[in-house]
Amino acid sequence: MINIQNLNKRFDDYIAVKNVTLHIKKGSIYGLLGSNGAGKTTLLKMIAGLYKQDSGELTVDNQQIFENVAMKQRTIFLADSLYFFSNATIKQMADFYRSVYSSWNDERFHKLAEAFPLETNKKIERMSKGMQRQAAFWLTLSAMPDYLILDEPLDGLDAVMRQKVKNLLVQDVAERNMTVLISSHNLREVEDLCDHIGVLHHGEIMIEKDLDDLKSDVHKIQVAFNGDVPTSFLEPFNVLYSETRGSVLLYIVKGAKEQVVSHISSQHPTLFDLLPLTLEEIFIYEMRDVGYAIENIIV
Amino acid sequence: MFQLDIRSRVPLYEQLIDKLKELIINEIYKPDYQLPSVRTLAQELTINPNTIQKAYRELELEGYIYSVPGKGSFVAPQSHIINDEKVKKMKDTLVKLISEALYLGIDKQEIISIITDAEQSVKGGEIHD
Repeated sequence: MINIQNLNKRFDDYIAVKNVTLHIKKGSIYGLLGSNGAGKTTLLKMIAGLYKQDSGELTVDNQQIFENVAMKQRTIFLADSLYFFSNATIKQMADFYRSVYSSWNDERFHKLAEAFPLETNKKIERMSKGMQRQAAFWLTLSAMPDYLILDEPLDGLDAVMRQKVKNLLVQDVAERNMTVLISSHNLREVEDLCDHIGVLHHGEIMIEKDLDDLKSDVHKIQVAFNGDVPTSFLEPFNVLYSETRGSVLLYIVKGAKEQVVSHISSQHPTLFDLLPLTLEEIFIYEMRDVGYAIENIIV
Repeated sequence: MFQLDIRSRVPLYEQLIDKLKELIINEIYKPDYQLPSVRTLAQELTINPNTIQKAYRELELEGYIYSVPGKGSFVAPQSHIINDEKVKKMKDTLVKLISEALYLGIDKQEIISIITDAEQSVKGGEIHD
């Protein structure tokens, strides 16, 4: 369980993280989304215990993580720019990880060789970007962390490898109840993986929610009426967006699906479609609701 | 094993619920059949175990499955639910067909007489009113 209350961090006069409150349950896959420069990495580094917050509470399993070796043993932060010792091979890096992480699992390391087709005696520096990323995942997953913090983790991996890595992550969550925190600016990528998401914008949390709730709560509807549109026919619902395309009306409404369907059907539309929204659409409309420009949120 | 459509707009957990209901209603998964464990499904479908757990919880709430602590989830014997679901689907289909028929200009009386004919052929001429 990661608990964050009113967390603040500034660098000189730049406020990177502002009053952030977050809760990440054990065994959850949490997606931290936001534009470039939204403060994702700063927040992740604080959660990983690399930065100390200026103010606010941050506990992992009810303990401070900053300068807490025992806690850091159970946490791995996989940064967006990877770091390996110069001239090190995977084998040498594995030796280092083994010496640092008490939970290191040799059996796992050998087993994962099947998933990652890399030479353990080759210098990591000589490998391609994607292969280096694979090496990092190989080492990380062999260290069996309880908390895995990933910053833009799938960049540089090909489609097959992405799927493989996702599969390995999901397995660890299912089997060991590992908690995963993923930051990404790619909404589609996290949509099928996360159960909870938080959206960071200019250092502040805009939305934090169960992804399924978020999705089943907002609908895109298309309706057409034979004749006049009944006035205020969407009265009971919160309409986030409306548009008229010829005689077809397009709305984004918030509300329980059954209620929306039964209410609209009772007005006898000649055409009626209801679609769940994609994560991307939800952001566009929710953000517009809060008054933020779309371009800044979705990259 | 079944497949889910990751690209679909429908949330994965809803897809999962629908899929499992379909398998149960069509008796591909028979009563007391053990459902794949959360772990197995997560691995095979590469989806979040929490999503699967949530779907299983929902199915249990709706009476489609029951769980035995330490053993897993099983299909509940449940003829009434299956029938309810089938009747509901049938009604929806009928409403659609009848609306279309009315739109095409088939008279209401004609539809009623079709229903009467159908009833006769099912019951062998015995009509209640």
